Amino acid sequence: MTRIGWLEKWTLRFAVVGLVFLAMAGFEGVLMRTDLAAPGALGGMEAALNRIRPVAYEPTPAELFYGMLTVHPVVGIYGFAYMCVMGAFYFLVPFLLKKEIRHKRLVPVNFWLQTGGVLTCWLSGFFGLFNSLYTLYWPLPVSYDRVPLAGSIAFTVGAAVIMVNVLLFAFNIFSTVLSQSNPHSYSFGQFLSSAFGIPRLRRWLGLKDDGPNPNYEELPVFIVAVGRGSIDTVINAIVLLSAGALILVYGLAALFKAPLDPRAIDALVYKNWFWWGLDMVADGNVLMYTAGVWYLLIPLLVGRKLYGEAVVRTVILADLLISLGVWSHHLLGDRAQPLVMRLLSGQFITWGEFFTMGLTIFTSLMTIWLARPVKFTPALKFILGSIFGFVIGGTAGLIQANVGLNLVLHNTQWVIGPHAHVLLLVGLGMLLFAVIYVLIPMLTSLDIRSQRLVNVHFWAWLVGALIMTYAMGLAGSRGMLRRMLYENGLYQPYMQVALLGALLLAVGFVAFLVNVVGTLGWANVLSLVVPERWLRPQSGRAET
Amino acid sequence: MDREERIWFGVLIVVALVFNVVTLSPLVPWQKWLLWSRPTPDERVSIAFENYEIRLPAEKIEIRAGEFVEFVATSRDVTYGFGVFRPDGAMVFQMQVIPGHENKIVWKFDAPGTYDVRSTEYSGPRHPEMFIENAIQVIP
Repeated sequence: MTRIGWLEKWTLRFAVVGLVFLAMAGFEGVLMRTDLAAPGALGGMEAALNRIRPVAYEPTPAELFYGMLTVHPVVGIYGFAYMCVMGAFYFLVPFLLKKEIRHKRLVPVNFWLQTGGVLTCWLSGFFGLFNSLYTLYWPLPVSYDRVPLAGSIAFTVGAAVIMVNVLLFAFNIFSTVLSQSNPHSYSFGQFLSSAFGIPRLRRWLGLKDDGPNPNYEELPVFIVAVGRGSIDTVINAIVLLSAGALILVYGLAALFKAPLDPRAIDALVYKNWFWWGLDMVADGNVLMYTAGVWYLLIPLLVGRKLYGEAVVRTVILADLLISLGVWSHHLLGDRAQPLVMRLLSGQFITWGEFFTMGLTIFTSLMTIWLARPVKFTPALKFILGSIFGFVIGGTAGLIQANVGLNLVLHNTQWVIGPHAHVLLLVGLGMLLFAVIYVLIPMLTSLDIRSQRLVNVHFWAWLVGALIMTYAMGLAGSRGMLRRMLYENGLYQPYMQVALLGALLLAVGFVAFLVNVVGTLGWANVLSLVVPERWLRPQSGRAET
Repeated sequence: MDREERIWFGVLIVVALVFNVVTLSPLVPWQKWLLWSRPTPDERVSIAFENYEIRLPAEKIEIRAGEFVEFVATSRDVTYGFGVFRPDGAMVFQMQVIPGHENKIVWKFDAPGTYDVRSTEYSGPRHPEMFIENAIQVIP
């Protein structure tokens, strides 16, 4: 059995649980696709599961569907994506900076809190039938005539655990980057100032340098991306924590028979606050972290220095500033939102992402192009897939982030298909797979076992995702709404094709799992979850 | 920036300008009145949303083709959506209906016909029920 270090083991644990959450989100995704393609097909399974739900009535198929739909993105993003990111960053940040994690004890804390928080949210949907969807539009989460009170309370507790945990993780990463084990150490204020380019602006204006400041021109590009992206991670966690706390207060008041008036909170102001915070992930950290990982892995995989490195640090700074101003593209359908905000924030500032991602993709592809001939390793294939996903999903996003076109695209399958799921499955999903394909050999010195299974994974995942999202997009362009169950079978043919795409995705995922377990071996996989002495009673060495 | 990157940046600028100019222009038909001319509506139609119900002012709203109509939607509880659809399901237009606000949109129907109204924003498990067939009759 391969011996790996303490941190490497935790990195793999994060990855394994992240993949379990992907399997859960994917499985429930297939169930929802089945519901849309063949209404009533899940009746038998629903009846069986209703026997274990602690509710006094028979939930309707719609209640079950919307309960699943509510927790699906939480499991997918805060479960799969965040856990993989935590595991990867906990290894890569100290590795690149050649220093230890500042607060090692937080690593298992982060692991257990994230796992527990996501599972609590999932249970609130599965058992508690919490159904207000991840958008949590006020005052729906506190409208207990249609949203179960117990589910609402459980969901917000789970969400609070996740957000507090994300803050602890960010604290640990910042502490590691800023810690005193390097010749220079910096305060958090100096770090923030440099992240926003203030020292560079001061130099440009001819003002006195207020240093010392972390020199973003000297740090590895990946660390610059993690540092700047994590500012958005923190803002997102604070905003969602505040929204969750508000919903929880209302829930507890209702529980103790002293209900509060939902009209005390302006629904439009809440929506602005909520989306400003959520876009710190959707248009903030995801772009910066993705760019950082491309910039780290591509030179490593093709053996060439990053093209245009001097420019990319400024592009990451631009991403940070732009991410703070784009949230109104979620309020383009709200006529009560001032037109100037819909135009500026919703459309023009959002197009800033076109420039930053355009330059990021150009840099990444030029690095590969100039390194020819290159070997298409599993990780490089998946990075190219990821870049493709950002091109397609980003283009779809810009088409809908438009004062004119949003009128007929908002809340349709276009938004959730060609935009969100192409970005999540192809853009982000394939990137995380690439990271896993790199980290496994790096951490364990084991080569990925089967190139054939890598190809099955790649093509099944990519083609499956494109079939599914293309069918959704076509349906959306013909008026099919997201979050809607149609009784008359109007869009059923599209949903049936989308289901086929989803099943192909599942085939790709199974191929990946078989390959990973085949590479690591069951002993190594089990050693991540059970003490080593249970696997090798003769080894005589306790797990550290 | 290297020369190739500067050329690429120039391409990005051109694409951004063309796309934004075209989609903000009257080439997108409804931009003529939603963004540019802001005409005075000939008629005002009020729609109320509450408890999963869409309450129209009459069993069927009658509108003349070519006239500007202002739809004003209000909600007394949660956020809904006011969406107008052709019989084949294609969307004509929509807007969010935020509680505590008057949500207004001006529209001009070019061709006679009947249109359905459906809530476009999830408001709870009975959201799919919020549908009125042939809610709007556009007459010549």
